[in-house]
Amino acid sequence: MIDVDIGQRLGGFHLDVSFSAEAPIVGLFGRSGAGKTSIVNAIAGIATPERGRIRINDAVLFDAERRIDVPPESRRVGYVFQDGLLFPHMDVLANLSYGQRLRDARERFIDEARVVELLGLGGLLRRRPRTLSGGEKQRVAIGRALLAQPRILLMDEPLASLDSARKSEILDYIERLRDELAIPIVYVSHSIAEMTRLADAVVVLSEGKCLAVGAVDEVIGRVASEREPDHDDAGSVLDTHVTAHDSAEGLTTLAFDGGELLVPRLDAAIGDRVRATVRARDVSLALARPADVSILNILAATVVAIDELPGALVVVRLAVGGSTVVARITARSSRQLRIRAGLELHAMIKAVSFDRRSVGYA
Amino acid sequence: MTELSADEVGILTLSLRVAIVSVACSLPFAILVAYGLARASFPGKTLVDAIVHLPLVLPPVVVGFALLVLFGKRGPIGGLLDEWFGIVFAFRWTGAALASALMGFPLMVRAIRLSIEAVDRRLETAARTLGGSRLRVFTTITLPLALPGIVTGTLLSFARGLGEFGATITFVSNIPGETQTLPLAIYTFTQVPGGDPQALRLSIIAVLLSLTALAASEWLTRRSAHWQGDDRR
Amino acid sequence: MRRLRAAAAPLVLILFCGTAAFAADVTVFAAASLKEALDQQAKQFEASTANKVIVSYGASSALAKQVQSGAPADLFISADRDWMDYVEQRNLLARGTRVDLLRNSLVLIAPARSLANLHIGPGFRLAAALGNEKLAMANPDSVPAGKYGKAALENFGVWTSVAKQVARTDNVRGALALVSRGEAPFGIVYATDAQADTGVRVVDTFPPDSHPPIVYPAAVLASSKSAAARSFLDYIRSPPAKRGWEKYGFAMAQ
Repeated sequence: MIDVDIGQRLGGFHLDVSFSAEAPIVGLFGRSGAGKTSIVNAIAGIATPERGRIRINDAVLFDAERRIDVPPESRRVGYVFQDGLLFPHMDVLANLSYGQRLRDARERFIDEARVVELLGLGGLLRRRPRTLSGGEKQRVAIGRALLAQPRILLMDEPLASLDSARKSEILDYIERLRDELAIPIVYVSHSIAEMTRLADAVVVLSEGKCLAVGAVDEVIGRVASEREPDHDDAGSVLDTHVTAHDSAEGLTTLAFDGGELLVPRLDAAIGDRVRATVRARDVSLALARPADVSILNILAATVVAIDELPGALVVVRLAVGGSTVVARITARSSRQLRIRAGLELHAMIKAVSFDRRSVGYA
Repeated sequence: MTELSADEVGILTLSLRVAIVSVACSLPFAILVAYGLARASFPGKTLVDAIVHLPLVLPPVVVGFALLVLFGKRGPIGGLLDEWFGIVFAFRWTGAALASALMGFPLMVRAIRLSIEAVDRRLETAARTLGGSRLRVFTTITLPLALPGIVTGTLLSFARGLGEFGATITFVSNIPGETQTLPLAIYTFTQVPGGDPQALRLSIIAVLLSLTALAASEWLTRRSAHWQGDDRR
Repeated sequence: MRRLRAAAAPLVLILFCGTAAFAADVTVFAAASLKEALDQQAKQFEASTANKVIVSYGASSALAKQVQSGAPADLFISADRDWMDYVEQRNLLARGTRVDLLRNSLVLIAPARSLANLHIGPGFRLAAALGNEKLAMANPDSVPAGKYGKAALENFGVWTSVAKQVARTDNVRGALALVSRGEAPFGIVYATDAQADTGVRVVDTFPPDSHPPIVYPAAVLASSKSAAARSFLDYIRSPPAKRGWEKYGFAMAQ
């Protein structure tokens, strides 16, 4: 349980947030400069807010009124930095053990062997940080933070400096962490895809203020596409489960409360829960159900609302069964099809638009 | 011709002892002062910085005179030290070490300060989140990463201390076997009829020592940079 | 790292040896002009008594000031009475130990190769002989050799004409060195200094009555804890020592 209520002025930037969240992974989502890093710095204790309170589970880390400000070394907050920040004068093993040595034996719940195995660090132990690749550095940074026996792990855009192949790799490791260890994680990112894949609860921030807090599928879908509509990955998140695999065709069937989706073959078992992001720009609309068309997913939908965007674009929110799907089309098309609230039509999504990044395992 | 006489060995040993002790004793202070100047901000910081650099620009004889007034047997500090602890600086090799330490201090502080400023503060922050107290972070992260500067500062100060003359002769005078360091011995020989060859020999030794100190400084700086994982240097 | 520490330990021990007490049995502060002669005396004393003697040479003025500041000397030998009086007036001498030890005379010197020919007498043409160059002397305001020299030149009415051309050194040996190296065409030093340095020749000797008598007093200092100090003082006044002094051109005072 993370309880943050703080205010801080940094130059011209005014941070004023208040939220509570409880989940294995809590995402802090927002653009650059929204205040995400300021919040994690305050949680870690390396920045001191001017007012407010920070509580993790039952531990009060900061309380301006009661003059409580636990120094960072005593907070037991693990911090994985964007740049890794590995100590260049120590080898990987020394980096990993840095925090471990400082903790009481009683407080230890994870040991070196486990961390090395979990993050695949076996072959790297004697290497120096300067000889490691970006992905390897991040894994070591995660391992180092874990071995300091934290009560919570903060990750500040840990994938930012990696290429997409590495991103995938690290995402897999973080999912493993979530599944195999019981440490809550606060995950900071401006990427919808990462939020979708990893976070259970999300706090959306904009210009130092908290816009929304909630489960990822509600929050990302609604707020992200409304407030950050030109974000390339903006769209909606569908809560589905795997019902069938077709190895010959290389397709998987996902079922949700609005129907079925065909997506490229997933590495999941029948019955597994899967979160699928449907990007607004990948959704096309048709008044009548089209025939002889290459698009595999055609769903019956009802228009809920229409929002105009700058430029010649329009965002149409649709109800598909009990879920929400968001489509982005030109204003011209919207006029020509006479899209209005209440209209029943078909939403079409290419199977190909579902890639690795848009599918996350719950 | 190439062998050193017993007297010369004595002079050399004394000089080395004075220089090594002066550097060893001033190093902790230099690190503290350098850290304060590099990281802390406090009123009067510019003044402190200026005072630290004074011996670099003042005539050495002024420093020697100030030492005589303060640390002489009758001086306010020297008198107390003698009375309470039996520590005497005036006319002793310890005074020569004090003079050398003062004259070399600015060089040491300067080099160490630059080195500390070059340490990425975010590494220190990361260490604190891992549970390191400020002191532990200082000793395990800041100091090791500042090592090249510490080495340079130490060796520069050592070389300077070996060559210290004006403050030494003014404060502790020229007593063979006690305060007659290499520069003072050379000076004495220039005033002995027919003493030029000996002055020359000692001068060559002085040059060789300084060259060795400077070369060692360069080599050690490179080695410690490599050991730190920084191959840019 | 461990190996470094192991190597450092014996080094530290060596460095700190001998920090406890002052290493000599007798420490002498002596006028610079006594260098060769006194070194010889000290050696002989060390050989016959197994006592260690250290001598620190310098201008009597500088030494007197150091003694006043508490320098750890056992014996003080000054090149004039004034500076011994200075020390005595401050009650720094061991009572009853002050004696007049040696005598010396003052000479005008030139570099060995110089062909200069001057006869010292009233108004002698030193300024003309100097031309634009320097007269090397110990500091005429404080150092005994300089004071004697100035007194002698004043006596002959020559001082004002050369005063601005004096190259002042901080002790008499400095003046000797300047002339010996040819940096100065003339200098005023003790006869014993001229004898010690083959790089100079004596142009003429100052008559003894043209300056205060050159007497070297010696005394044991009140702060001295050295038992050997008195025996060394006795030794250098003894008849066997007399030959050692005379060999270098000094005359005994008594």
